[in-house]
Amino acid sequence: MTAVDYLNLLISALLLAGTYAAMAVGMTIIYGVMKIVNLAHAGFLMLGAYFVYELHERAGLNPLIGVALAFPAFYLLGILVHWVLGRGIPVSDEPTLASLLLMFGLWLVLQNVGYLVWGTDDRSILTPMTFATIRFGEITIPKIGLVVFASALVSLGALEFILHKTWFGRSVRALIQNRYACRIVGVPVQKIARLTFGLGIAFAGAAGGLLGLLYPFSPDFGRPFLLRSFVVIVLGGLESFSGVFVGALILALVETFSIIAVPASYQPAISFSLLVLALIVLPGGVAGAVARIRSSRAG
Amino acid sequence: MATLLKIEDLSKRFSGLAALDKVSFEVREGEIVGLIGPNGAGKTTLFSIIAGSQAPTSGKITYEGRDITGIKSFRAVHAGIARTHQITRPFKSMTVRENVEVGLQFGRRGSVATLGKEAMEILELVGLHGAAATPAVNLSVGDLKRLELARTLAARPRLLLCDEVCSGLTESEMQSILDLLRRIQSLGTTIIYVEHNLRAIVSTCQHVVVLNFGRKLAEGPPARMQNDPAVIEAYIGKKSEA
Amino acid sequence: MSAATQSSSTLQRVLRVASPLLLLAILAALPFFDLGPNRTKVLFLTFLWITTSIAWNILGGFTGQVSFGFAVFYGLGAYATALAMGAGLSPYATYPIAGLVAAVASLLIGLPAFRLRGPYFAIATIGVSEATRVIMTNLPFTGGASGYRIVEQGPFRQTDHYYSALVLAAVALVVSILVRRSRFGLGLRAIRDDQEAASDAGVNPYALKLAAHAVAAALTGAAGGVYARYALFINPEGVFGFQRSVLILLLPVIGGVNTIWGPVIGGSFYGIIEEELAARFPQLHLLLYGVLVILVILFEPGGVMGLLGRLRRLFQRKKAA
Repeated sequence: MTAVDYLNLLISALLLAGTYAAMAVGMTIIYGVMKIVNLAHAGFLMLGAYFVYELHERAGLNPLIGVALAFPAFYLLGILVHWVLGRGIPVSDEPTLASLLLMFGLWLVLQNVGYLVWGTDDRSILTPMTFATIRFGEITIPKIGLVVFASALVSLGALEFILHKTWFGRSVRALIQNRYACRIVGVPVQKIARLTFGLGIAFAGAAGGLLGLLYPFSPDFGRPFLLRSFVVIVLGGLESFSGVFVGALILALVETFSIIAVPASYQPAISFSLLVLALIVLPGGVAGAVARIRSSRAG
Repeated sequence: MATLLKIEDLSKRFSGLAALDKVSFEVREGEIVGLIGPNGAGKTTLFSIIAGSQAPTSGKITYEGRDITGIKSFRAVHAGIARTHQITRPFKSMTVRENVEVGLQFGRRGSVATLGKEAMEILELVGLHGAAATPAVNLSVGDLKRLELARTLAARPRLLLCDEVCSGLTESEMQSILDLLRRIQSLGTTIIYVEHNLRAIVSTCQHVVVLNFGRKLAEGPPARMQNDPAVIEAYIGKKSEA
Repeated sequence: MSAATQSSSTLQRVLRVASPLLLLAILAALPFFDLGPNRTKVLFLTFLWITTSIAWNILGGFTGQVSFGFAVFYGLGAYATALAMGAGLSPYATYPIAGLVAAVASLLIGLPAFRLRGPYFAIATIGVSEATRVIMTNLPFTGGASGYRIVEQGPFRQTDHYYSALVLAAVALVVSILVRRSRFGLGLRAIRDDQEAASDAGVNPYALKLAAHAVAAALTGAAGGVYARYALFINPEGVFGFQRSVLILLLPVIGGVNTIWGPVIGGSFYGIIEEELAARFPQLHLLLYGVLVILVILFEPGGVMGLLGRLRRLFQRKKAA
């Protein structure tokens, strides 16, 4: 392997990291505010891919516009879902098994509705971009990868803006930090929870659309990405947004460079092992470990 | 009297905040030792650490001459240290008697053949034997405290850690719980007793340790602590309770 | 108690012991009544689903540790039987081996995983199960993705399989009842109610969780073994698949988690309708189960058993009025 090969791999990893970050952020939002592990995230990723696909196939709509449209569409869907299932999704301090099972049931429903509507065949979103590459000297970058990466960054930037510059975003951050204080101060917790759920689903749908540009998909699409989202979030620290970037980067790097050492078909096992390892060794993720190091230095 | 428990420089930090800061004291066998201090002084944290529900950040705990720092709570129970919780934690799917059975079956080294008799004896001691078949969720606050005590006693601890058994009780309920504590002491158990109500402390304890802001402020016989100016100052506003 | 109520409660107790035995006797006698191969197959599969439901429930229901990865044990048991039979062992000797292999695996998984609580444990089990599936798909000596074929000497006798599965299900049920009534079961309940308080009362949560996991895994592994001998061909996607883990979990939850008979109900229901629905509408039955789970969580967390309990109380109140 030459230096150029390594560089190509590194760039692939970086592009992948951006996508993974966008994919995982939807889950982090919901978990951070409501302490709900959203297993149905996989279902919404899948629906996002099909949403963009259908708009592309039937209306000839540019997939990137489809992704942009996915945001409001899935935001509304998320709010609807929360409204219907609200009873089982209480805002609590600790993740509950009931909410876990509920989201799981929802995922099953979404997945199988998907099978009913679209069948089991793989679909792909093919555009002129899909196979094009850009060359910088000896470095080859798939154009679609770059486009997806850029879109991911844009959406994450939008999230940062929402979180830091809007009233809603401030309430969300407050809720993540201290639920009781929020209640005392008068933050409408239930309402924020509903809007937050919508936001999380919005990101899931849009991310699903982006992923659909990169990979072929079927209604079972979400599952490997669900697990990868877990890895990202757990590595990064379940409630930290900056952690999501770190986690996404670590996962992308491990996945991309493990091809050197391990046959490609074993690769998913690496991600899953990383997940289990992360859960056990770094319960707070990288963010938690950093915080602990900082506090032990201060104390 | 021999030293049963020795705490040396026990500290507990939570991300930079010191809940306990180098606390040291000794508990002699057969005593009831009171642990007092204003809210947030670290009393329950100290309890948790002694009982093994939490690990200290630094420091040492010696029990019966052995270093038990950082052991898990079920091992502490098998060694003879058992605690009640400030906010009671009954097993909600079980009846009163089943709750005690857990303490009976698991609180001692090795399993005990189900002696239904012994469970009922313990329930009689705390005054709950009429409620043996009642689901734990249906009990009043006072009865929940008794149940907590019963379950803890079922483990036959040498050292009993009582966390605010009196809060939320009426005057007469409180007196009967304090009588119970004295009876338990007479049966050979050493007790460390956390309590806000200073009258209860004064009437039951032989020795008192005062905590404030995670540090030991003072220790000595209850009468002396009542009049110690530093202790009074820590409790400003609560002097009327004493 | 009056004499009338005393004798009725004795009657109730007799019925409670006699009816399962009666059911067992009936099921044991069925093959003699010319069921036909299809119905025998349905019952065979149903007994296996009942076994895995009961097994999962020991960890998920009694102890409150929800695992999304039980297919690992089913698959390991299936492969253990397959490989052992390939080495010449009698199938009945392989079933305990299958259970043992699964139990050992459960310890390896549980030792790290049980340090995690609730949903994190659940997520870790998904990770482990999927990792195992990927590894098994790539291992050459077990046939890899193309699977493994078992060769059994002698004719294929459906009744052998029928009775193997029935005995296994009965064993599982007995184990479940014994656990529930024992000191071990009391400790599991305490862990489920409040793990920290249980530890504060002297229960060793790690040891008990590992033990419950091992019992559940052994039963599930044995079920996998019984299945492997029947199917004569197994592949990683089939026995280790996530869908199998899903069903192993769903059936007891819908039937009534943390009860003795809930898993039996869940397993029976699925086994019997699976044939009908799966043949005609392959995706519909999972959709149905997804909806049922949602309904259960939202309205009746006790599942079918909980619903029956509510109906019984309603009936009793009407009788008293």
